Amino acid sequence: MKWTTQQMDTYLNSKEYVDTAVIPLIPLDWEKDPKGKVSMGEFTSLVTEELERQFKGRIFQIAPFTYLSGEADEQKLERLLEWDRHFFKNGFKHIVYVTSDGDWKKLENELPDMLIWMPSLSLESMDASYAKEILNQQMKQMLPLITDKWQQEPKERS
Amino acid sequence: MEEKKHKVSRRQFLSYCLMGVGGFMAAGMISPMVRFALDPALEAGGESDFVQVTTLDDLTEEPQRFDFQVEVEDAWYTSDQPRSAWIYREGDEIVALSPTCTHLGCTVNWEGHDDHPNQFYCPCHHGRFEKDGVNIAGTPPTRPLDVYEVEVRDGSVYLGRPMQR
Repeated sequence: MKWTTQQMDTYLNSKEYVDTAVIPLIPLDWEKDPKGKVSMGEFTSLVTEELERQFKGRIFQIAPFTYLSGEADEQKLERLLEWDRHFFKNGFKHIVYVTSDGDWKKLENELPDMLIWMPSLSLESMDASYAKEILNQQMKQMLPLITDKWQQEPKERS
Repeated sequence: MEEKKHKVSRRQFLSYCLMGVGGFMAAGMISPMVRFALDPALEAGGESDFVQVTTLDDLTEEPQRFDFQVEVEDAWYTSDQPRSAWIYREGDEIVALSPTCTHLGCTVNWEGHDDHPNQFYCPCHHGRFEKDGVNIAGTPPTRPLDVYEVEVRDGSVYLGRPMQR
């Protein structure tokens, strides 16, 4: 489900079925390589949208978690953990973070739940149908990660 | 003498020029107005709602997934949105099912679960549907999968809107 009032109504009516929150992690930087950061954000949004389309009825697509690339690791980690605790406490047993920013890969072990990190592809230079084909291929490999996760017990938070 | 009669006077010449230029200007202003006035009438041809998805030759009796794009008007802007359909042949008939689970809208897959061959399977809450899209009792969905309007023109398959059954 998407971050809209209309879909929120659907959610409120069928809360018990929606147990997974997807949070896109999007970096900002207007000093060093702004375009690279935008490209990461764009790719992350594309992937998140597609995940939402596939698993609409069980996933809630949360507003993006944004941060300046310069923000200290501990600080942004602490902030994300707070988001995680908040959503976990309020009904989401599974939380998936989606990003293209490699920084999170380094912090993966500190994260309480599943990180999906996909290096961003510059889709702008490709033919639209080719870009779609590539994204579809990527998604096909990614979907089982989520369905497998659902087979397992939710991760406990300390 | 004869020649002199046919000569155009200065006054006449100028007025012809003015008429010509004025005519062009008027046409330039009026024709876009006429176009805009008629445009909605020309647009509503109905056929534009159908999108070409595949060709007849590509269809089998086994449902296959086809992806396509439709133009969606979403309050503030129009955009191309991805859509999919499960299409198969049933004798002479072509059946195109919407992959949207009627429970909460996840995307269903043909034979998506090893334990349930010949059925559509929804990975979110284990909803299941028969090949013809009818929901299987005891699983969360409460109505059959929607069916697309199908049109065949020159060996190509066009899909319209998904219809609720």
